[in-house]
Amino acid sequence: MAIRINPTLIDELNSFGAEDVQLCYHCGDCSAVCQHSGEIFNFPRKSMRRLQMGLEQKIETTFEPWLCYYCGQCSTQCPREADPGESMMSLRRWLISRYDFTGIARQFFRSKLVEVLSIIGVAILTGLFLVIYGFSGGNLQIYDGEGAFLPSTFIHKFDLLIGSVMAIFLLINAIRMWYFTMIKGVDFNIPWWYWLKNIFTLPLHFFTQKRYAECESKNKSGIFMPWLIHLGLMLGYAIMLVLVMVYIEELQYGPDIIWKVHIFGYLASIGLIIGTVYFIRNRLIKSKYVQYKKSHDTDWVFVCLLFLIVLTGIAQHILHRTGIPYWANIIYVIHLMCVVPWLLRMPFSKWAHLVYRPLAMYFAAVYTDAKEKQEVISGSYAISVK
Amino acid sequence: MRTGVFFCQVENGKNLNIDAIAKYSANLPGVEIVQILGVKPHLDAKLLSEIIMTNKLNRLVIAGDMPGYYKPVFTKAMLLAEQNTDEVRLASFQEHGVRGEYALDRAKAIIACANMAVPFSLVASPKRNPVSHATLVIGAGIAGIQASLEIANAGKHVYLVEQTGTIGGHMAMFDKTFPTLDCAACILTPKMVSAGQHEMIHLLTKSRVSEVSGKPGAYRVKIHQHARYVDVDACVACNICADVCPVKVESEFDSRISLRKAIYIPFPQAVPNSYLVDPENCTYILSEGQKCGACVKKCPKECINLNETDKDIDIEVGNIIIATGYELLDVGKIEQYGYGKYPNVLTSLEFERLTNASGSTGGRIVTKTRQINKKTGADEWIFSPEGAPPRNVAIIHCVGSRNKNYNAYCSRVCCMYSLKFAHLIKEKIPNVNCYEFYIDMRAFGKGYEEFAERIKHEGTFVVRGHSTNVEMKGEQLIVRGEDILNDKMVEFYVDMVILAVGLIPAKGTDYLSRILGIARDPDGWFSELDYNGNPTDTERGGIYVAGMCQGPKDIPDTVAQASAVAAGVLGSISSGKGIGHLSSVTLSEIESRAKIIHTL
Ligand SMILES: Cc1cc2nc3c(=O)[nH]c(=O)nc-3n(C[C@H](O)[C@H](O)[C@H](O)COP(=O)(O)OP(=O)(O)OC[C@H]3O[C@@H](n4cnc5c(N)ncnc54)[C@H](O)[C@@H]3O)c2cc1C
Ligand code: SF4
Ligand code: SF4
Repeated sequence: MAIRINPTLIDELNSFGAEDVQLCYHCGDCSAVCQHSGEIFNFPRKSMRRLQMGLEQKIETTFEPWLCYYCGQCSTQCPREADPGESMMSLRRWLISRYDFTGIARQFFRSKLVEVLSIIGVAILTGLFLVIYGFSGGNLQIYDGEGAFLPSTFIHKFDLLIGSVMAIFLLINAIRMWYFTMIKGVDFNIPWWYWLKNIFTLPLHFFTQKRYAECESKNKSGIFMPWLIHLGLMLGYAIMLVLVMVYIEELQYGPDIIWKVHIFGYLASIGLIIGTVYFIRNRLIKSKYVQYKKSHDTDWVFVCLLFLIVLTGIAQHILHRTGIPYWANIIYVIHLMCVVPWLLRMPFSKWAHLVYRPLAMYFAAVYTDAKEKQEVISGSYAISVK
Repeated sequence: MRTGVFFCQVENGKNLNIDAIAKYSANLPGVEIVQILGVKPHLDAKLLSEIIMTNKLNRLVIAGDMPGYYKPVFTKAMLLAEQNTDEVRLASFQEHGVRGEYALDRAKAIIACANMAVPFSLVASPKRNPVSHATLVIGAGIAGIQASLEIANAGKHVYLVEQTGTIGGHMAMFDKTFPTLDCAACILTPKMVSAGQHEMIHLLTKSRVSEVSGKPGAYRVKIHQHARYVDVDACVACNICADVCPVKVESEFDSRISLRKAIYIPFPQAVPNSYLVDPENCTYILSEGQKCGACVKKCPKECINLNETDKDIDIEVGNIIIATGYELLDVGKIEQYGYGKYPNVLTSLEFERLTNASGSTGGRIVTKTRQINKKTGADEWIFSPEGAPPRNVAIIHCVGSRNKNYNAYCSRVCCMYSLKFAHLIKEKIPNVNCYEFYIDMRAFGKGYEEFAERIKHEGTFVVRGHSTNVEMKGEQLIVRGEDILNDKMVEFYVDMVILAVGLIPAKGTDYLSRILGIARDPDGWFSELDYNGNPTDTERGGIYVAGMCQGPKDIPDTVAQASAVAAGVLGSISSGKGIGHLSSVTLSEIESRAKIIHTL
């Protein structure tokens, strides 16, 4: 089959953050040093080549970028300063925009202005809606129970609504990802039981981020710092999501503390706070880890918004419990004004990693099994290097 | 003529005041417009052609470090503006040596010449001076020896200054040379011997140039000669002294893979063929005459004098040739190859010595064997003739070369010598597997491509893909890399890894460049006057460069350049007039000469 070439692909990727792809001269040092590069998935050099050649279809159908955790070893070692690590990161951004059928992600990644404006827009709409709703039946002086400004049953419905909108987008995008990588990108047969056999990889990778840890065992960074913090952040986020979607009514209940629910909230908050502070700090001082040397605009929006959400969340919680419902309500509105754009933004932003990564790991496992079988069949496994 | 001057830089020449040069060019006759387009400008032929048309330009001068880079766009613009494309003139700063303290005036002069369409080199020739007949050659590698012999054979005096105890340089360390696989010693030794015996060559080993003064044609040079402690003429190289010497140190000539004594001869064919004492390790000298002195008592010729002192020699010479060669980059700092950590990771020069029949294993290629140091009780890895030959060997190209973290440039000879290594290994060890990891195969010379093909046909696995990772599991080294052409990650288990380490200028280069006033390239090599037109001269009158010290090159190129230098030197001697410093021609002189030619 003829392959169509997109000569401007490399310029396009430039706007997603991969600026130095053209410098690569294909020594393969990056692939050699990469912990995750192996027989079947061999990167990042190959991606650099595909980018240089404009093999858009090939890139679209590969999930190699998802197998990279950006430990930065490749970029440190690259003799041409072509920054393969950053290219993989940019490819992930590009892939998110590719999986996204609405085209919103693409706009966000390419223009800071569009992103910030739409966040502000959604925030204002949310705020207006909540304030009007609040005054229509509630009292700003009451936080929960009878006559509350924002009753928890209402918020629950509201959350579920927003959540399902987000979930629909994510689901469609995930299906597109599956279609691109496992249907368009695979030219051999994958038996159905491989799908079943490997299903465990999904929760495994989601909860442990184990491949990230593998990266760092090589990075010699002592106590696996970025991995641990990354894990804390991701788990904190996931727990919060569940709490907000399912247990919001218990969560909002007060002024007493319901330990069996709130303890999870506290733990998640700690994970989120440590995580965001750590990443903000690293990005500011451009720490020794290469992956923080370059910050894409979306990275900044991402951490700052998250930080704001966590702070306002904690503040309204404390204010409620210390008996200042008036301020608790105001802060709560602000909190939700941040949360809604954040949630709606998720399918179009870096947070989609949360879904795509474990999926990619799962697909990769299935693919590997099938590919190995394929190679045994066709007997093409012998290496001839001459 | 209506001229437009455009400044475009490929690299940011920080020290050059482009604004001042631009102001100067604006006042040149016929110049209508001057534009500074900056570093790496994105030029549009259409826009440029509009500028040409609105200003009715019919000549363009592109000024900058490498203006040729932008010439096509300007030519196209001229075409679009329907002007004569021959009138796109280049004012190349790099080609005509705009550097150092005269950079500004030189740049102006180059533009003035381009504006008048007069070749710069035609008018920028300095005054000529009377030349004294003796020549100084610094560095006695193959370049220094070749140049000295050419000049001496023409009947002129040469002072050949070499910092080590023997002449020969790196070539003396090699077994075979690519691509002919000729025996290096068979080519070099006769030259060394005739240089040593030539009545017109004054050989000064263990010496360095310490001061230079005077002017072109009559340089006064002070040479500091370190004491050798052995009378060169009396010594018969019987080795009795070394037999009794108790001190053992690593041999520099053997790339530190074998040991020598404190009194030693670098190698049996050394010229001068005499022993010498290493004062940094000799017990007698270190204890200021209190201890040892065993060799003095045993020497049958009584030619050892451990109380000898250093000398300073003053000479006057007309010309100076720099031929100081190169050395290897320190690979220890490129950690991922494990050099210094894993015993069987070798540098290229170490391997050259290992495979050399005059080396410590008699030319057997073996892996290191473990030995317990009797004194310290620690483990040591040494090459012994009884060692086991490797069954698998990996050779990694471009180690520290073409790498922005170390040397950005190509070292030029490593591809070829790596192939030579593969051949030697295959020749000496039956059934060995040899893997070469390369990025691009630079087989650039006559017969080189054929040589590379031949090595492939001999069964060496030539892997397109550079490996960065050498690790050790048990006694085995694992080399991991990407086989790009086969689209596979590969891991080879090998017993020996040879690193084709990048080359850098010899240690004293910086000092020499200061006392001689010769600029160096950003990479550290000596700058020639004009890379294309004048690759052996420097901007200093009567000072020349030959061999590796000017930039990486192989032996044929080195020898050719050395002979070319000799021709220049002899030319100046026979005409009685040598070229002065380029800086001695002033800007106004160049301008007025250019004007004369222009009006002719
Ligand atoms: C591993 C290896 C294998 C190679 N194999 C081949 C091959 O097979 N074929 C081939 O064509 N080329 C080969 N080359 C390249 C070859 O070595 C060079 O082209 C050649 O040796 C250059 O000669 P030179 O005289 O310029 O420098 P050198 O051989 O380095 O000689 C310089 C001399 O100057 C002396 N010196 C340095 N500084 C001073 C100072 N300040 N004062 C006084 N003296 C000084 C040094 O002691 C030395 O004796 C190989 C290179 C390497 C690294
Ligand atoms: S290390 Fe750099 S130059 Fe080498 S293949 Fe990777 S990106 Fe390209
Ligand atoms: S000669 Fe070959 S091995 Fe050496 S630096 Fe150049 S490309 Fe690399």
